[in-house]
Formats: sequence, C-alpha cells, structure tokens
Amino acid sequence: MTIMPPRKHGDASDGVVGGRQTRFEGSLKVTGAATYALEYPVENVAHAVLVQSTIPAGRVLNVNAETARAAPGVLLVLTPEDDLGFTVASDWGGNRPENQPYYPLPRHVQFNGQPIVAIVAENREQAFEAAKLVSITYEEAPHVASLDDPNAGEGKLMGNLVFNWGDAEAALAAAPVQIEGTYSTPREYHVAMEPHGLTVKWDGDQITVWEPSQWSHGMARTYSEWFDIPYENVRLISPFIGGGFGSKGAALAHGAVAAFAARKLGRPVKLALTRPQNFTNYGGRAATRQTIRLGATEDGILQAIVHRGASETSTYADWPEQTGAATPILYKVENFSSEHRVVPVNTVTPGALRGPGKNPSSFGIESAMEELAYKLGMDPLELRLKNYADHDYQSGKPWSTRRLREALTEGAEAFGWSRRSHAPRSMRDGRTLIGWGIGCGTFPVLQAPSEALIRVLANGRVEVVSGAIDMGQGTYTVLAQTAAEVFGIPVDQVEVHLGDSRLPGSAIAGGSMLAGSILGAVHKAATAARDELIGLALNDENSPLRDTGANTLTFSEGRIAVPRGEGPSLSLPELMAALGRDEIETRRNTLPDGASAQEHHQAWTTMAKVQGPTMGEYSMHSWCAHFAEVRVDEDFGTVRVSRIVSAFDCGRLYNPRMVESQWRGGIIMGIGQALLEEGLVDMRNGRTVNNNMGDYLVPTNADVPDIQVISVGVPDYGASALGGKGVGEVGIVGVAPAIANAVFHATGKRVRDLPITLEKLI
Amino acid sequence: MTRTIHLSLDINGRRHELDVEPRVTLLDALREHLALTGTKKGCDQGQCGACTCHVDGKRVLSCLTLAAQVEGREITTIEGITGENGDLHPVQAAFIEHDAFQCGYCTPGQIMSAVACIREGHAGSDEEIREYMSGNLCRCGAYNSIVAAVREAAQATVKEKMEVA
Repeated sequence: MTIMPPRKHGDASDGVVGGRQTRFEGSLKVTGAATYALEYPVENVAHAVLVQSTIPAGRVLNVNAETARAAPGVLLVLTPEDDLGFTVASDWGGNRPENQPYYPLPRHVQFNGQPIVAIVAENREQAFEAAKLVSITYEEAPHVASLDDPNAGEGKLMGNLVFNWGDAEAALAAAPVQIEGTYSTPREYHVAMEPHGLTVKWDGDQITVWEPSQWSHGMARTYSEWFDIPYENVRLISPFIGGGFGSKGAALAHGAVAAFAARKLGRPVKLALTRPQNFTNYGGRAATRQTIRLGATEDGILQAIVHRGASETSTYADWPEQTGAATPILYKVENFSSEHRVVPVNTVTPGALRGPGKNPSSFGIESAMEELAYKLGMDPLELRLKNYADHDYQSGKPWSTRRLREALTEGAEAFGWSRRSHAPRSMRDGRTLIGWGIGCGTFPVLQAPSEALIRVLANGRVEVVSGAIDMGQGTYTVLAQTAAEVFGIPVDQVEVHLGDSRLPGSAIAGGSMLAGSILGAVHKAATAARDELIGLALNDENSPLRDTGANTLTFSEGRIAVPRGEGPSLSLPELMAALGRDEIETRRNTLPDGASAQEHHQAWTTMAKVQGPTMGEYSMHSWCAHFAEVRVDEDFGTVRVSRIVSAFDCGRLYNPRMVESQWRGGIIMGIGQALLEEGLVDMRNGRTVNNNMGDYLVPTNADVPDIQVISVGVPDYGASALGGKGVGEVGIVGVAPAIANAVFHATGKRVRDLPITLEKLI
Repeated sequence: MTRTIHLSLDINGRRHELDVEPRVTLLDALREHLALTGTKKGCDQGQCGACTCHVDGKRVLSCLTLAAQVEGREITTIEGITGENGDLHPVQAAFIEHDAFQCGYCTPGQIMSAVACIREGHAGSDEEIREYMSGNLCRCGAYNSIVAAVREAAQATVKEKMEVA
C-alpha cells in the first residue's frame, strides 16, 4: 500500500457558504460504501423482469406464458389479463383525473418497447430465462415512427407556447438583411450511469420503496395514489442516486409493476431495468425541428425574430420540448413571433433532459445569430453585444441580474477571441482546419418551497435533516456548509440526512431549483435553532453566559461567546451540558406563515407552488457564454473539440468546487449532443436501434479537452435567500451551437441538424 | 430446481464460499451474493466500465466475467484497496481532492481502472491518461478532474518509488 504524504484539504474558510469544501460524502463514494437503491440488503427478495412489446402500435391479442410459468424458479407472471387495480396518479401539477384506470402492463400498445408482461422468479437469471419463453400475439395498427416519418403530420399547436409582440412579419419583410434556417435535434437520452430500478417491500399496508429519485416526496405521492393508500404509508428511500439528469423525477410503469408483484407475492421484489430498457421505459429529450427567420439592419441591429418549432411527443401525452424557450430572451428584439407544436408519434412520452426547452432552443437561435453575423460580415461577438437585451422584452420586466455582457467579454478575453480571423477556413494547422464559435445559454430561476429540520445534539454535533436529494450536485456539501456557518463550527461537526420521503419535504432536484430552495429552508431552521440557543444561554439560570449582560452571542470557531470577546466562552457541547439539554430541534419551511397542512403536503408532493422566473417584479435567469475551438480533419471530416472556455452568471456560488464540476458536466454533455448523441429509430417498427452505451455514444474521457470555466455572477437576493441562481441546467445550454458555429468557421459548412457527424462535412 | 455450483472465490484477501448457478457473472456474484456492492452495474454488457475489478492485478469487466472463471484467481474490488487502517488509497484521496466525481456511480470503476492504469505505466501524460481511462464512462462529466486526480496519484507513486530506491 502506497501511503501518500499529507495533502492539503483546504482551510476553515472552505467550510462556510461560498467555500470550496470537498465533497461531504466523498469518502463514501470513493470506497464503494455509498449505498444506491438496488444495494440495500433485503431478505427473501424475488426478482422481476419485463417483457416488452416488439410492435410500435396495436393490441395484444394473446399472451402465451404457460411455459414461462412452469420454468424453474418462476413465482409469478403478470400479463395484460391481470387487473392490477391501479388508477391514474396526479400529474406534476397535482391534478388528478377521477377514477381513470392505469395499466402499467397495457393491452393497447403505444410504442415499441412498452412493458407487456412481468416475470417474477427466485433469482434474476431464472426470471430472464423465463422471459424468453413468453410469446405474445399482436394485432398491429399503423404507426408513426418518428418526427421524420412522412405520416407524422404537422401536429398540434400548443396554445400556451404562442408568443407575439410588435409586428414580426412586417418588420422582417422590411429588414434589409434577412436569414432563414431550419435546425433540428434528434432524440437524446439521459444515460445516467445508474440504471433505473427499485426494490419494494410491503409490511401490511405500509410500503418501502428503495428507488433512485430526484424527488422523494413527489414519487412517494404517486405510489400512494396508485395503491389508494395514505401518503404516510409510503416510504421512498434514496440517499444516493447514480445520476438523473431529469429522468428520475417520477415513478414509472416498472415501479408500479414491481410494487404490485411484491404485494401479490407477500415478499420483497427487486426490478432492475436492463440498460436497453433504459432507452424505452421512460423518455429522453424529444426530437425537435425549428425554423428561424431573422431580420436586421445593415449594421446588425435585430429587427425581428420569427420562430416556428415542433417537437415529437407520444400518442398518449403532450410533452413539448419548447424550441422557443430561449429565443425571446437572449437578445433585444421589438418584433417577435414564436409558435411551438407537438407531433404525436409512437414513442414513450419524452421527458426532461438537462436544460429542457432552453437547450434545443439555443441551438436554433445561437446558430441563426452566427448565420446573420456571417451574412453581415460582422464578428459574432460584436453582433451579440450590439443586440444586448437591456430588459426582458417578453415580460417587459427588468432583469434581476444579468451578467451576460460580462460573460461574453470576459469569456472572449480568456479564450483569446481577438486573435480570430473572421473568414471560414482561414485558420489551420497543416491538414487540420481550426474553427472558433460562440454559443450563449440561459435557464430560468425557478423557486419552490422547502422544509428542513435542524437538531443540535448534546455532543455538539448538528444534524441537518431534509428529504432533498443529492444526485451529485453537492446537496450534502452545501447544506453542511450552511449549518457550519450558522453555528460557527467545522463542517465535520455536521451530519446531513437526505433522500427519504419521511424527512421534511423539499423541492425537486430538477429545474436547477433545489439549492436555492433548500438552502433557504436550512438557513432559516439553523438560524432559528441558534436563536433558541442564544435565548437559553442568556436566560437559563445554569448558563455561564447568563450574567454577562449581553443581548446576543456570537458563534465562531466552535465557541459561543459574548460579542467583542469579553467574558466566558463555551463550546457547543459545554453549552448544551450547562443547559441540561439533550437536544434542540427546530423545523422551518419557506412557505408563507400560516400555510395549512394541505398546503404543506401540496408544496412538497406537487409542482403547484413552483414560481416561474417572471412571477415577481423581475425577470430572473442564469446566463452563460461558451467559446469553443474545434479541429477538423480536412480529409476525413472528423471533429475534435480542442478547447472550451465558458463564462457563467449563476449569481452567488455556494461552493465553487461543486459548481465548476456541474458546469463542466453540462458542457461535456453538450459536446456529446453536438458531435455524438442521436437516438436512431427503425422506421419500419419504431424500435430504438441504438439502445445501449456502445451504440448510443456519449463522450468518453478522450473526447473531452480541458475546459475552463469562469464565474462572472454577483449575488442575486431576488432569486434566492442566499443569492444563488440555478447552476445545473444552464451548463449544457449553448454548447452545441458554439461547437456547430466553430465547425462552420473551420470548414465553411453549416450543419443545422445535430449531431455533427463526419458524413455531413465531407 | 436449477443446478448450482460451489465456488471458492478469493476476494480482497479473503476466501468466500458460495453456491450459485453457473451462469452467474462475477458482478452479480459480488453484488447479489456477497454483499460487495461497491462494484457497480451500469450496463451489464461491457460498455461502460462501472463494474471494473482487478483479477490477478489486471482490470477486467466483471459483468463479462463468469464467477466460475475466476476461481483460484486473486480478485480485488473497490472495497479491497483501502489500507487496513482505513487510510484511503492515493487514487481515492486524489479523486476527493480534485472532485473527480459527482453522483459517484461510475467512481469505483474509475478508481479501479486508474489504479491499474498507473500500474500499467499508462499515466505518463494527460493524453495517455485520457486514452487509457476511456473505457470508463462518466455521464456527470468529471473527466477533467479524473485526469487531474490520476496524474497526481501517478506522480506521487513515481516520487515514492524514487525515494524508496
């Protein structure tokens, strides 16, 4: 065993909000001791696997499962013949249709890969073997394979996604310089490293679900509604989650099946989706297509934007991937028109994937802006700065904070943008063409209520307790820092308990809304606990601080003392001992005072209380500007990203180390989106062809250069109690257009459909 | 009743006895039968690297290895590289210091790969580290930090060897 010399783990200032504290749960993750959902030891567990439809649309006529039922180890076979007795649960907003049946193993097939049959056996190998013995007879119906299917049609206009101001068509027609482009993005998948799956155990009418979750309370609510049992009877446990990226916010059909099987069998059931099933049992980002027309003056002042977009959805639910989400707010524009349609196809309903809406939207507008820049013969940086939006032209409201100008100028400086030669194909290194491009990104500030509990123990340790989730963003770490700062103690004196629906309710770990929300609640609860301690310390007859005459106390460097350092000082355990207290517990939330129990429940288990970016007097968003360099092999058309500099305005950073990691992660996912990622659909049968990690390519280590990230933000106390704006989503937004723009600069070829693969360049 | 076979597996310096079906992979033997869940299942088809373990000191994908194949071989998992006194392996410590992970699910595989990568002498430059660590996918995108962590751990290993010599 090699023993390392002592290493620097930072200093005490790392342990407060804004410090660079290393990952709080880090040692658990590097030793394999962090326990993910399928790793809990549960006695006598049976194993379930799913058999999926092999047609895209139609009806199950017959399931022949007799051989499977007789196979070794098989305990239960569920088919569309079985009445599982479920009713449809509430949607994200908490709206629930009345008495509408829900069939997780349906007779009516809506997409290829839909779960039709479940097999439960003593072990997983037996369940898989038996699954191969099931034969299903279908009556096929006509299908629409994808957005590109000739039968897909125009889809339906989403009335809530129509935006107009000024007179866009007239202003466009009158503009001396015009460009038009149609931009498309394919189906993309989350590919979280931890596949979906769960273990379920019933004790009477109480159910425990170990399942990776971005939202413990919301998913627990779904299970309770499916089974028509009280919410309190469900416990969903998810302290560690192996990546979500939007895919793990909702309970899904396989969860319903496993939970039903466990109750039916009277023993725990584990169901682990295979990697290929992770491409069909829940939706990734929908394929999109958008046409953008820009009109400008000859000196590059935008006169009009006309945007028409569409995204695919399933045949049974409308999920818009909003291609017009970033279009209205990136630039100053007096005449604007945008519409978005959804086109039903035979797929599982798409879902949220990092930077939903904003991401494909920015690919459109940021590609179009560069096309305009080249048409004008203008530096794309100059064009962007020239059309800087001084306020939100969509809502008419002022920005809370918007440091996009600084992101552009400081990013350009760090990148060395001034050394760029404007003409395409004008920068090269031998046979390698070099190109530089810019892409801007944004994501709204979403605000949601949260609750937290703080417990100060006799031994001086402070517990932070919340149902919030850490899927790698750093929730454990920043909550420990928050409590450490309030109590003036080192981070290692804090314990953080997360990821359990029995703990105080929290916003979803999604939409970049968790940190701003839960830090507010933890800070409030911790401050209340500290105030209670101060009150006791100044008034309790056994307190050494009682007769100091002070009216408050300081908590610093592990000591509690009167201000200005005169008189006695005590450590937290000493004070607790003097007060004769075993613990002090406070529970606080960020709902308005006097909220009812019903409102509490609604706040944590639905999205009904989530506030959008313009619901107050300001328009609040995170912003970024990416600068990408690509090197393109002139002979083979292979593109390598050789350099990226990205500058962000995400307000105050609660832990720059964690934030930088998230930004880089988003940028890397953006590299994948630009060059590699594309869900391929077999037009004959709607099958996802590349349903695995060898064929659906995500970036590897060798695909990724050193990425420089810069923070240009300032605290935004309108956006959150502690001044931060969202971090996780915005990183990917604008990366793909930056790379596409760099590829154009290198090659002179404009690729408007992602990913940019070599056959599009040769 | 399905046929089972008896296996004696030497894992992390300890002998484990188990009865499993012959088709059970090393990965499932570790996770489902021996409660060694530090080794992760990301794809179960040899594409992601999350299940990387060492067999006789060399990295293998445990999802593509049958448990029955590794009898009599020396198996090391993430649980087996920490010092007896609980000290982290230099690669583990460097991963924390450089924030070389977020969700942590690919991390045990990354670390097992990194330990072998350094031992193989494939950590001589950032470019080489990137290439020889590319069998381990990280969807959170910690690649820059993984390279930094492997570089630092490799340099520390070289330095120590020189001091010993």
